[in-house]
Amino acid sequence: MMAVSRLRPGARGEMLCVFLWISVTACIVCSYWISPVVTVAVLSSALRQSTPLVLGAMCGLLSERSGVMNIGIEGQMLMAAFWGFLMHVWTGSLMMGVISGLAAGAFAGFLFAWMSVSMKMDQIIAGTIINILAVGLTGFFYPTGMSSAGKLKIYSVPLLSEIPLAGPVLFRMSPIVFLTICIVFLLHYCLFYSRWGLRTRATGEHPKAAATMGISVVKLRYGNIMIGGCIAGLAGAFLSLESVGVFERGMTNGRGFIALAVMIFGKWTPIGAWGAALLFGLSMSVQTQLQFDRVLSLPHQFTGMLPYLITIIVLAIFIRRNRPPASLGVSCERE
Amino acid sequence: MILLLRSFLVPAGSVLLAFLTGGILLFLSGSHPVEAYIALFQGAFGDLSSISRTLEKATPLIMNGLAIAFALKAGLFNIGAQGQFLFGAFAAAVAGFYVQAIPSVFHIPLAIFAGMTAGGIYGLVQGALKAFSGAHEVITGIMCNYIAINMTDYLVNHPFRDRSPGNIVARTPQILDTSRFPDVAGIPLGFIAAIIAAILVWWIVRYAVFGFEIRVVGSGINAARYSGVRIRSVLMGTMLISGALAGLGGAVETQGVVHRFQPGFNTGLGFEGITIALLGRVHPLGIIPAAILIGAMKAGAGMMQFSAGVENEIIDVIQALILFFVTADVILQKMLPGIKWAEGERLSLSTGWGGNS
Amino acid sequence: MVDRALPAICIYCWIFTIILFPATAMSGCGDGKTFCIGLVTDVGVIDDKSFNQSAWEGVQKAGAELGAVIKYMETRDAKDYEQNIHMFAKNNYDVILTVGFALGEATIQAAGKYPRIAFIGIDQFQAKPVHNVAGLIFREDIAGFKAGALSSMLSKTNIIAAVMATDLVPPVAAFQKGYKAGARYINPDIKIISSFHPGGLDASFTDPEWGASTAAQAIAQGADVVFAAGGLTGNGALIEVAAHRGKYCIGVDTDQWFTVPSARSCLVSCALKQIAPAVFTLIKLAHQDQFPEGNYYGDVALSSFHDFDKKIPEKIKQDLLEIESRIKDGRITISADE
Repeated sequence: MMAVSRLRPGARGEMLCVFLWISVTACIVCSYWISPVVTVAVLSSALRQSTPLVLGAMCGLLSERSGVMNIGIEGQMLMAAFWGFLMHVWTGSLMMGVISGLAAGAFAGFLFAWMSVSMKMDQIIAGTIINILAVGLTGFFYPTGMSSAGKLKIYSVPLLSEIPLAGPVLFRMSPIVFLTICIVFLLHYCLFYSRWGLRTRATGEHPKAAATMGISVVKLRYGNIMIGGCIAGLAGAFLSLESVGVFERGMTNGRGFIALAVMIFGKWTPIGAWGAALLFGLSMSVQTQLQFDRVLSLPHQFTGMLPYLITIIVLAIFIRRNRPPASLGVSCERE
Repeated sequence: MILLLRSFLVPAGSVLLAFLTGGILLFLSGSHPVEAYIALFQGAFGDLSSISRTLEKATPLIMNGLAIAFALKAGLFNIGAQGQFLFGAFAAAVAGFYVQAIPSVFHIPLAIFAGMTAGGIYGLVQGALKAFSGAHEVITGIMCNYIAINMTDYLVNHPFRDRSPGNIVARTPQILDTSRFPDVAGIPLGFIAAIIAAILVWWIVRYAVFGFEIRVVGSGINAARYSGVRIRSVLMGTMLISGALAGLGGAVETQGVVHRFQPGFNTGLGFEGITIALLGRVHPLGIIPAAILIGAMKAGAGMMQFSAGVENEIIDVIQALILFFVTADVILQKMLPGIKWAEGERLSLSTGWGGNS
Repeated sequence: MVDRALPAICIYCWIFTIILFPATAMSGCGDGKTFCIGLVTDVGVIDDKSFNQSAWEGVQKAGAELGAVIKYMETRDAKDYEQNIHMFAKNNYDVILTVGFALGEATIQAAGKYPRIAFIGIDQFQAKPVHNVAGLIFREDIAGFKAGALSSMLSKTNIIAAVMATDLVPPVAAFQKGYKAGARYINPDIKIISSFHPGGLDASFTDPEWGASTAAQAIAQGADVVFAAGGLTGNGALIEVAAHRGKYCIGVDTDQWFTVPSARSCLVSCALKQIAPAVFTLIKLAHQDQFPEGNYYGDVALSSFHDFDKKIPEKIKQDLLEIESRIKDGRITISADE
């Protein structure tokens, strides 16, 4: 304990995280050695299930880093999934569907920004309104009897997809899954190494100081929330246009809230949230595999609990403290 | 007096505005707004049984609203209320059918106590995780909700399943008559319990030493540390009480309405608690009218669907509108320029995911 | 500006509405001439592509034939079952359908209170017959058995998969039991991989994404026939299988060839519960005052193969007929679990 406490703050957690990832990787390699087919299946499924969570977390992160608490991720995703699918059916083009999904997400983001930034409403309420509204509107206008022309196709990168283990998992996948990974790294770079990122973080930590430095807090927050809405829209498009292929009522099924947890888990950083989402996705697909193989002869509720239990345990042991941006939830008054 | 009048007038005006706007929506969706609202009102307050249904619907909302509001006072966002609620409902059901041959006077409180304990312990687990490892309560709360659903699903499907012949449904047996809530002068006992709970919570937060400590922790962790508050105990105590409140809500549902535990009967009530807490401005006594309003909408929705042909989803949209207009008092402020707005009356409760640790 | 204009707009719209829109007339149920049929859904919506929808189709058909007034109530909250049934009963409806096992208790209670109304409870097993309640139930295990046998015969890899919602729902559990038994009946060594949704009863029927990724995970490890039972979750799995070349999927409850057209490229058949015809028959019996009490067994079957009719070998069709007759005369009994 003494030796550990001499390290700089946060180092202990980072070391534990690294340790965690090394052991997970070792397990994956071992299981690949035992059964390559199953391992690839589980890992691909993990990546796929983590995708909407990562995107949702990025949406939350963008607005929270600039100081606006976003509980409306679920609603933004749902509206985008709905609108994306509808446009896809009307225009017959998947591309149009995805773009409209993004636009719908951005619009929901705009609504959220208007309520929380301009109207200065309480941010949890603004988010809740988005959620309830999304359920009501998409349910009311639910397209009965519509079917799509198909969904986004899996794409294999020519040479890279032949690499054992990594190939089929990482280079044989659908466009939005791939795009998600790009977004994570892009956001990481922008948030920590660009002028916009500095301004965002400054606004999130101390909006008044940021305002005196000449940053327009309102504009910045609007911008960030709407870009976040786009990303949540991509998550919605993933659900209705890539993964499932149709829109169904309430198809987000709580993913927006899990994305919220994932974002906090990753300490409001893109890479951290990505890791957390992968961990959750992995435990989800391992859970399914345990049921497939009937490893545990327990009622399925116990295997079903695993992903959630693992998350809590990893959080309590490895991650521990998560500090939010300082001004989160406080609407900024113009002085 | 003017202050009191205003604190009543403004929300009432907002609700009216929401209903007016909702009326346009109803019109556009092809139903007759006046007819729809009359049906809604009849369904919610038309006769004695509908009033008692409204109160029944409001009761769990009050409890969960209180649970959320109480935790928010200490800066904790208890999104795990749903799980605590489920365990409360389950424990009360078990106490309701297992314990036999004791009079109502003891059986009712016993089942309530079981529910509160179960919910409280589940809340305490999340509080302890927060206090000792800093694990964020939003994450543990969301995860604990899923664990609670799975756990109660298992418990009612296997050990506590209703074994009566011919039953094919996964549910517990019915609770005994001795543990059921009677009506007191036409008002469900659960609702009375909820009112008492609200007053108690208000008193604790306002006057008790513990309530003061909670508010200190809620106002900032550093301030709390310097003023010598034992932060860990406060965090754990808050979650214990918050969980017990949610658990009480569950117990009241089991004993007053459902009379057994059956999966699928308590869906989403914890999340609605968040709405109620915020609609009631995180004030224990403000939660009561908020819950009655939403409860009335839930109770009247059936009638509205039946006799005015209003689709269910429209109710959601009107709820969102109510939330919007009540919170966005800026709109009313502009419309009623005569009323002076006091400083600090603005609503900002959600400071930073309860950024305490 | 907009904020100030809002109330004015509101008021104009209101005046407009009140003038233009007369209130709807009453239906006239209970006058002895009009026959009225009401349907209360399980928590969910009427167009759920599943049992609520099938039941409503049966009601619509009966309504058209008998010239009856028909109406449905969508339940939002499980605690409203009683109230929703009561709503129809109070308005003197002649037949009230309640859809789903969860409404069983509320139906029996209402039947006691309104002895002159005929109640049809779908998926509601009647332990003690009540004179005005017919429990419309189905042998899902038999339908599942046939689906399992078909899967087993179609499979080339000897791995088949089942994507399920939750075993807390009796019909789903019965489907799964029958499916496993049927697959093993054809090939005792077949590997059946099956998974339930981890979100419990609350979330397990409305998660198409989980169904899709689980089906993909099963296919990736060699499963070539996927049986999907579980509302929207199952539909997600069906559509996912359709995206993989040369794999088959089997649907459930209704003929999903029509309800899930996106899955047509893999959908060989469906384990059908003939809800709509059975509902129609029961309503007609009620209309003729020949209402049966107790349990009424609806038909279960495999749906037609549609486009796959030519691709399925004659041998398999023969074997399925053989199984059918063996189930009928009791040479096959489905009891063994696992």
